[in-house]
Amino acid sequence: MNNGKLKIGIFELTGCAGDALLILDCEKELLDIFKAVDIQVFLMASSEVTDEKLDIALVEGSVSTEKEIEELKDIRERAEVVVAIGICATVGGIQARFTDPKEWENKYKEVYGDIEMTHTKAVPSKPIDAYITVDTYLPGCPIGKDQFLNLFTRVVKGNLPERYPRPVCVTCKYNENDCLLNKGIACLGPLTEDGCGSICPNHNVPCFGCWGPVEGANLTSEYHLLQEKGFDIEAIKKQMANYSGTKLVEFFKQLKKESK
Amino acid sequence: MKIVKLKKENLFPFLEEISKEADLWAPTKVESDRHKFQAIDDLDQIDIEYTRTILPPRKIILPPTINMFQASDKEYKEDFSHVSKKIIFGIHPCDLHGLLIMDNFFTHEFYDPYYMESRKNTLLLGHSCWPDENCLCKSTRTHIIKEGYDLFFSKIDDTYIVWIGSSKGDDLIRAKEDLFEEDISDKDIKKYTEWGDERDKAFQTEINFDSLRDLMELKYDDPLWKKVGNACLACGSCTNVCPTCNCYNIQDRPVLGENYSEIKRCWDACTLENYSEVAGGENFREKRSDRLKLWYTHKFQVYITEYGKPGCVGCGRCISTCPVDINVKTVGKSLDGEKVDSFWNRLDKEVTK
Amino acid sequence: MKKISVDHLARVEGNGGISATIDGKVVSDVKFSIYEGPRLIEKLTLGLTPEEDVSMSPRICAICTLSHKNAVLRAMENALQVEIHPKSYLCRELMHMGEMIESHSLHVYYLALPDYLGFPNAIAMASDFEFEVKIALEMKHFANHIMKVLSGRYIHGENPIIGGFGKFPSREELLFIKNRAIQFMPFVKKTVELFCELDYPDVPEQETVYACCEPGNNKYGFWGDEIVLSTGEKFFRDDYKNLTNEYVVSHSYCKRSRYQGEPYSVGALARVNNLGDRLSGETSKMYEKYFNKRWTVNPLFHNAAQALEISYCFERIVELVNEILEFKEDPEPVAYTVKNGKGTGLVEAPRGLLIHHHEVKDGRVSNVDIVTPTAQNAEDIEKYCHTAAQKLLDSRQEDQIKPRMELVVRAFDPCISCSAHMAEVKHVPKGNWKTKLKQITEQRSPVFIGVGKPDFRDDASGIKIAEKLRDLKLHDVWLESEIIRDHQLERYNKQHTLIFFDAVDFNEKAGKITVLSMESVLNHSQLSHKFIPFVSNIKNPNMLNNAYVVGIQPESVQEGTGLSSSVQKAVNDIINHLNN
Repeated sequence: MNNGKLKIGIFELTGCAGDALLILDCEKELLDIFKAVDIQVFLMASSEVTDEKLDIALVEGSVSTEKEIEELKDIRERAEVVVAIGICATVGGIQARFTDPKEWENKYKEVYGDIEMTHTKAVPSKPIDAYITVDTYLPGCPIGKDQFLNLFTRVVKGNLPERYPRPVCVTCKYNENDCLLNKGIACLGPLTEDGCGSICPNHNVPCFGCWGPVEGANLTSEYHLLQEKGFDIEAIKKQMANYSGTKLVEFFKQLKKESK
Repeated sequence: MKIVKLKKENLFPFLEEISKEADLWAPTKVESDRHKFQAIDDLDQIDIEYTRTILPPRKIILPPTINMFQASDKEYKEDFSHVSKKIIFGIHPCDLHGLLIMDNFFTHEFYDPYYMESRKNTLLLGHSCWPDENCLCKSTRTHIIKEGYDLFFSKIDDTYIVWIGSSKGDDLIRAKEDLFEEDISDKDIKKYTEWGDERDKAFQTEINFDSLRDLMELKYDDPLWKKVGNACLACGSCTNVCPTCNCYNIQDRPVLGENYSEIKRCWDACTLENYSEVAGGENFREKRSDRLKLWYTHKFQVYITEYGKPGCVGCGRCISTCPVDINVKTVGKSLDGEKVDSFWNRLDKEVTK
Repeated sequence: MKKISVDHLARVEGNGGISATIDGKVVSDVKFSIYEGPRLIEKLTLGLTPEEDVSMSPRICAICTLSHKNAVLRAMENALQVEIHPKSYLCRELMHMGEMIESHSLHVYYLALPDYLGFPNAIAMASDFEFEVKIALEMKHFANHIMKVLSGRYIHGENPIIGGFGKFPSREELLFIKNRAIQFMPFVKKTVELFCELDYPDVPEQETVYACCEPGNNKYGFWGDEIVLSTGEKFFRDDYKNLTNEYVVSHSYCKRSRYQGEPYSVGALARVNNLGDRLSGETSKMYEKYFNKRWTVNPLFHNAAQALEISYCFERIVELVNEILEFKEDPEPVAYTVKNGKGTGLVEAPRGLLIHHHEVKDGRVSNVDIVTPTAQNAEDIEKYCHTAAQKLLDSRQEDQIKPRMELVVRAFDPCISCSAHMAEVKHVPKGNWKTKLKQITEQRSPVFIGVGKPDFRDDASGIKIAEKLRDLKLHDVWLESEIIRDHQLERYNKQHTLIFFDAVDFNEKAGKITVLSMESVLNHSQLSHKFIPFVSNIKNPNMLNNAYVVGIQPESVQEGTGLSSSVQKAVNDIINHLNN
């Protein structure tokens, strides 16, 4: 099929499928999306699958089995541009929170016992850029509709994706919320990439960090600020690690060194 | 200048009348702990007993994101849909000063139609206020206002003394003239001046802004900057809440299913990391301390040179906002040689960048 | 041997497949497999604060995120003994209605309907069935709106918190929801008619057990503190393990559940079967009109049940909003202290019974057990696919096996990502019976069990083999009667492979030998009854993975003694083979 439209594949690795679901949720725009491009693979929406070359591959989910590593490499070979969508793909997601491979192995055994899986072997979850080159990232848990449509439209129209990472606090202030940190609540807004619309602080709930760490986040300052506000160190570390996948490993190593 | 009097109970009938012709904006209380300017449907929403709103009223003139124009290879279509007739009621003197600085900035060198069209369609109705511990406007001499409003309401007990600052303000009064009284008694004047003296005494914080201009230059390499840089969360909040900050970014948004793009104008903040990133990925203010220095240079020094007054109007928003205590009070006092108690001073950690 | 497989099931939510292995005239193996990798959600949440747990555990699945939210909140509030305000309770129910409608409407119209109308997807269907596609979109859009208003956003909302809500919806927002729900009523009725009048094929019809929450007060509903089964039995929430008994199979990261050794079903069909007579209003009228005996045996009626529930939800929304508006004030979240405790929360997710069990110790989450609907349905999905495949094979419609299995899987609306722990096909060892038998005896220490009745001619073949093996002084050889009487199987563990010998009718020439996995036997309606007594004797359900049946096609199982010659030869072949 060659109708001049870009060929797109939407792939789901290990995750909650929230990002693919969000794409389906672009109700008003969904028909436009299907009109604008030639969707070659999108299992959540269609049983038609091809193995043709792709212009763009959107990949959701973290890499958690050996089979997925192979699949991902295959996707990279097929596609001109690979976009990581959602925090599982961009940072590894909640399942990549075990920063120590030993810890992962132990937990794995606790859940699945000693049974040897016949279909594929599990590996500790990692973001997709642990195995392939990624051209652009779209974080979120799940991704934001606006951010997605913006990126999608830009790419489809032949523009470079524009990334402008900033912390949740920016939108939080636009929404005129009082700073929760000033109220003594452990909010991860300053460390977390914006795009959700500061949805939690809007509801008086602190930011949990579900967009993953923002570029240039001042982890050290926030860590000591929370400590000064009386939160215990382990609790802060856990909270910071919850949604940051493999991306804060270096920071935690640094902390460990400091405490020695 | 003409001054009239309005009984408290006549305020709402007056606002009712004038809001027929324009959208009325006023401070409202949000969930018991904060205030913001909102478009008013029901006058009972108004809470005039406020100290400060989270965002300054400039958000009404230019919201965080506006569409400037649509463009395709063939066509160019301007979009001024953010412009409509508005009346903002309840602005405090500091914020009126803030808007004066914005007016100056957007007409001074280059005329900015997106700001000015909106501004020209907006009437400003000021309101008197009482300071709290974060108000610095006496130090910046923005606690009183003589220009820049259409009407100004000074509340004395159950009466407003209403200052008419423009012919448009005068037109408003004339629309419902019978609500106002012309004669202001000596008793009223006495009450007003006494209230003014009391208010002056109520300010708890003083900063010597005169010396800050020089100090900014003299202490450009002071270790203080490294310290604030180490603590800064780079969240951009100080910038977003500041009544005189005006930076913006322009983004092209191609529209799915159409052949044109929308060109958006969005607030930006020099304290954010990507602000100084240029084509090719270079960033000439990658360090938080460098970005903070830029911000404070603008507040304490550059504006004085350009416009004859500091870029700070003493509203206190950065003080109540910044979670790590980086604000005009702590930084100003610190530059002035005072040892201040603040998180950034207590944090004894080296942070890269 | 031939394998029919659908490697990537489309239009199910998540990444999985189904396959059937055909061995001659027998479907020897059906596997519902999940390729999603393991996420270890139950371990990720350990050590978190209760608040973080409430934020993280619903991330197990985007599709039923609010069901998970409601379930973890119910569990955690039970654990911490928090009693929420009635307004919070009603708002959570309203939120749940949003998710039900969104999930059901997406499933019936977008994922299931294309199969019945012969399209690869909903978009392709759009030109011919514009009205249906549009209604579905609008319903889903409305449902998303409810979810957004109540939970904060469409996926992974954080507004519901322990003790209530961060923020309640305004009166205007609630009235909008109510009025919109009323506007939808005519379309809702059409939806029920459409899906209740579809022509559902009768393959694969088969009995099963249905389980769902008992909402109490003789009401229909989506949560409760008890589980009720179609057999009439009930369990209190903390005794959920009486039903579920999760175990792991080697072809899936999805854990599985069986009730007393038998697969069971959860979901819309289970709810309508168990509680349908409690429906009221218009929904009740439609239930009376359409419900019949076939609903209780045919999983394809899941779609009809979902449509009926869409109607229930719309009617319930109107009642709920009225009840919520009775409370003028917004209650603050209930204050609580974090103390040690355990709690279980039962919720009906769109796909069925969802169980969250969370324990808190010293301020941290110390144990989490989550049983998802798809994990419970996995066994029935395989069972029904097996039945369908076998029936179609018997009636020489082999080409129908693949599409029919897809239809069955899709009817269950499996949510693969939330099955957290789910896979591809475990192959029966390749080759003839000799190589298979060699492989399985070499894997682990074999335990041989002879099954059958000595007085029914060829049915005695299993017993004969076992007796002969004993004569040959092989260890661990048992007769059917001994294991049942003396519970001999209890001594064995996962180091062992159980090998049963029996006469098995698989439509072949008499004396033909086959090796089947126990799972495929249990999924086979005609064979399973024989083995259930043994299986229920096995303490560790994981051992089912290491159990096989060596079957000989009998010539006669009439009363009488003596094996037919062909079967006798097979018996000798097996003995000789094992003796070497």
